Amino acid sequence: MTRIRRGYIARRRRTKIRLFASSFRGAHSRLTRTIIQQKIRALVSAHRDRDRQKRNFRRLWVTRINAVIRESMVSYSYSRLINNLYKRQLLLNRKILAQIAILNRNCLYMISNDILK
Amino acid sequence: MASQAAAAFNGNMKKALAGLRRINLEGLRWRVFDAKGQVLGRLASQISTVIQGKDKPTYAPYRDDGDMCIVLNAKDVCVTGRKMTDKFYRWHTRYVGHLKERSLKDQMAKDPTEVIRKAVLRMLPRNKLRDDRDRKLRIFAGSEHPFGDWPLEPYVIPPRTIREMRPRARRALIRAQKKAEQQLQGAIDMRKGRKKEAEAEVTE
Repeated sequence: MTRIRRGYIARRRRTKIRLFASSFRGAHSRLTRTIIQQKIRALVSAHRDRDRQKRNFRRLWVTRINAVIRESMVSYSYSRLINNLYKRQLLLNRKILAQIAILNRNCLYMISNDILK
Repeated sequence: MASQAAAAFNGNMKKALAGLRRINLEGLRWRVFDAKGQVLGRLASQISTVIQGKDKPTYAPYRDDGDMCIVLNAKDVCVTGRKMTDKFYRWHTRYVGHLKERSLKDQMAKDPTEVIRKAVLRMLPRNKLRDDRDRKLRIFAGSEHPFGDWPLEPYVIPPRTIREMRPRARRALIRAQKKAEQQLQGAIDMRKGRKKEAEAEVTE
């Protein structure tokens, strides 16, 4: 049997991974074995956080809407607003409500007063 | 500018102005809370909401955007029940057996601002922004403060539905009131009786 060297196959594979981790900090962008581990962790985090991102943003919108609604009148809260929205079958979602709250607060107050009646 | 208000304020000026430079004061409101007659925990809850910036529509959990909070009359804050004598602040000094405690009464005598500060601090989320939020809190035992020249806004505490008393507690309260009235009546009668005796002696 003739002797066969592996050549450049491993190096080609590893440069692709190295390119992925090129902006990582310290040894995580310099040492090959660490790079492989960190790439796996990064991808796992990204996959998990893509689902978490949807949850996080909804939480943020809810907090923002709550902040503005509590200021409008005495003992009014996010929970009551959502209840009224559902009762009146208004299909505005929290993302839009939060944007309205930031940009055009009076509009949100008008909507909430309208729903209350 | 600050000297007029500062001259009227006799207290720890250095402590009141500590770390003010570290806070980015642009666009922040200065809210004034009056703690006189307020229940401790309920007041602290409101303060912590304002300090976190959770009453603004531009709230973001990763940055600190709360307003500056000034609390006045910290020594007049109230607690319900027997907490004045029975609520203890405990801490351990990391030596074996050195669990120290101090009651609310002693703490108020020593430093009334610490009571409110501890209450608010323990209601804030334990993250890296907690120290910065602590720096935005300024508490004063009396009603004097050196921040007179900033645009201050008094914070109106929303009215609260106080739970009506349970029947047994209400009956106990009525009994105590009647007893107090009877004592008062007894004192008046005794005084009247003594007056009449004095008059009788004088006439006799």
